[in-house]
Amino acid sequence: MIVRDRSDRLTSARYDEAQDSMALLQIFDPKARPEPIGIDLGTTNSLVAHVVDGRATCVLDCDLSPLLPSVVHYASHGGVLVGAEARDLAAEHPRETLVSVKRFMGRGADDPETRRLGPYDFVSPREGESNTVRFRVRERVVTPVEVSAEILKVLKSRAESHLRTVGGAVITVPAYFDDAQRQATRDAARLAGLEVLRLLNEPTAAALAYGLDKGRTQGTFAVYDLGGGTFDITVLSLDDGVFQVRSTGGDSQLGGDDMDRAVALDALHAMGFEDLATVPPTLVRRALDAARAAKHALTDATETALTIERDGDAPYVRTLTRDDFDALVRPVVERTGPACRRALRDAGVKPEALDGVILVGGSTRVPLVRRYVKELFHHEPLADIDPDQVVAFGAALQADMLAGTGPREDALILDVIPLSLGIETMGGVAEKILPRNTTIPAGRAQQFTTYADNQTGFILHVVQGERELAADNRSLATFTLKGIPPMPAGAARLEVTFRVDADGLLSVGAKELTTGIEQHVEVKPSYGLEAEDVERMLMESFEFAEQDIAARQLRERVVEAEQVLGATQKALTIDGDLLDEDERAELEGALRALRDAMQSGDRQAIHLRTEGVDRAALPLAERRMNRAVQRAMSGHALQEFEEELKDRPVHPHLVGDGHTH
Amino acid sequence: MDAQTTTPSTAPQPATAEKTLSITVTPKAALKAREALVKRGTPQAMLRLGVRGGGCSGFSYVIEFAEEPSARDRVFEFDGVKVVVDPKSLIFLNGTTLDYETKLMSHGFKFVNPNEKTSCGCGESFTV
Repeated sequence: MIVRDRSDRLTSARYDEAQDSMALLQIFDPKARPEPIGIDLGTTNSLVAHVVDGRATCVLDCDLSPLLPSVVHYASHGGVLVGAEARDLAAEHPRETLVSVKRFMGRGADDPETRRLGPYDFVSPREGESNTVRFRVRERVVTPVEVSAEILKVLKSRAESHLRTVGGAVITVPAYFDDAQRQATRDAARLAGLEVLRLLNEPTAAALAYGLDKGRTQGTFAVYDLGGGTFDITVLSLDDGVFQVRSTGGDSQLGGDDMDRAVALDALHAMGFEDLATVPPTLVRRALDAARAAKHALTDATETALTIERDGDAPYVRTLTRDDFDALVRPVVERTGPACRRALRDAGVKPEALDGVILVGGSTRVPLVRRYVKELFHHEPLADIDPDQVVAFGAALQADMLAGTGPREDALILDVIPLSLGIETMGGVAEKILPRNTTIPAGRAQQFTTYADNQTGFILHVVQGERELAADNRSLATFTLKGIPPMPAGAARLEVTFRVDADGLLSVGAKELTTGIEQHVEVKPSYGLEAEDVERMLMESFEFAEQDIAARQLRERVVEAEQVLGATQKALTIDGDLLDEDERAELEGALRALRDAMQSGDRQAIHLRTEGVDRAALPLAERRMNRAVQRAMSGHALQEFEEELKDRPVHPHLVGDGHTH
Repeated sequence: MDAQTTTPSTAPQPATAEKTLSITVTPKAALKAREALVKRGTPQAMLRLGVRGGGCSGFSYVIEFAEEPSARDRVFEFDGVKVVVDPKSLIFLNGTTLDYETKLMSHGFKFVNPNEKTSCGCGESFTV
């Protein structure tokens, strides 16, 4: 019943394949304190964990995986995808998909290393701009802090959907992160609306997860962390129950990705590519994906098939044994040796004097790595906690400790938002952004887009209440965001942020992301609102629930139908010649039927007729696409249909459902 | 029941009489709810079921403790456990059975909702 952006269907398919192994729900206690969380913001993958009954556990996503790939894809029309969906798009859209953004955190734009770290479109800072790395992704420019914030937002909402109320967060950072990198991490958290309880060194988090601080007060440990793209070795000492970093070392350009690269390179050579510069980027990405899949398989299996799809050719397939694999990746693994020996020397510790070695990072699952670590440190490494999750577990334990676990009687009496707060969207529908009973302080952002072509402004009508239509709710404020350059419908990206501070003051911010134009307003939602009013408004929402839902569904169908009508008529005007008479008659008939249905006010009929127009317009859509491609290929500029500019702000239009997962 | 539930009625049909709307709680779910209430030290408290916006598929299920019903809540009782549902949620939950499942790796409550069109792996979220 939410109006989805018709232009961006990237997010729709994934959850239709819901898994049978559905996770089960636990009873939530509204009197429980907000849950502190631990976040491992990794180079390759990120995780969020919390503590239940003294045990740390990771929050799973809809596919029951604890890992969120640290990949952010900027889709056309300003949509943002994070995680596996983004990673899947990296092969096709290498420049719009930011992988391993952590490497850029706190780095200067003029750092010569920076540009070697990825195939991105770097933007030099303009006069007066700070010296941070900037990437151009489609029509916008983003910083590593903003990209990291997208990842943190998803982790936060993942935690919220599971825990309902999320308290502060402990976020882990590499032991070697300098002040600028730590500050960048804090900034990203703030952008994502997370309160940072503490930044914790990753190796310390791993040691906490293993409980190495329990039952002893002294000790020396090595933490061997081989992730996707980074290798860190840290020697920690425990003095009077406090972990201290004795030495760190590593290689910020070494990890499981290098193993994938070694395997992929070997395969590409076997496929006949001599000069790697001649390999199409798409094929490189596919080879890397295939290599990674083979690596995972070889953790348990002793042999696997490596398959690489080729355009216009049969896929490349070969059998890879674990011995083949070990031979290919041994040079990568051995590169960790010098750093380990140096770290031990810097800490003044002999391998025999260590009290333990901990394995962290998914790449330590590779059997060769375990053997190598054992040789190097003369210790059987601790590996019984999942090396992907161990850092997040430690962070969660630390967060739990910092937040203090008091008995229930001490639970904070929290203020809540008495009535939902939201904005009016197309069709007069009230879109709730902060639902009622959300504990404050609270914040949430949601994206909207333009409804009409060349729409140059948005009217933001802030409403309060539980009713489905804006007109039935209490109006708090109205403001407009103007000056947006003319764009096709759906191209503008309006981010609306609602924040309620501890005093109950609501500030609503609206920012058009492609241009950076913003506006904001503050209101006191409780002003002039008595307890009886709240009660009455709640009662009404129950009283009219059925009519409200029906009215909302009808309006949403009408909005959808109007969009389809508009887009189809526009296409017909410009490219109507692409249809033969029969097709044209059929499409015009479908349009007439839809208009009639809209007159009738029958929700189901409008929906069916809208789908009918979509179907009848299919040949036109396909041929228009072909014509555009041909024009682009023959070098002619695309003749854009000039439409009279509508300098009229309209209500924003919801993009997706505002949830990234 | 398969997580990907499809029914001919794609949207909750506003019912004509509120009385016809109802939910069910299986004996096992009621037993587990009672155990949880006792463990919480509030055996006389209730269980609130509902839906709210949010989650990966549009709506999420709510299952939480409640001290007392609100004025318009419908109150059900299953094996001595009082279950409250606000009237708006009841429209979406009509016909739903709350079950409790014990699996090898996890156990917990599960909403079996005939209005559900798709749901996600985490079991919290669905579309209607």
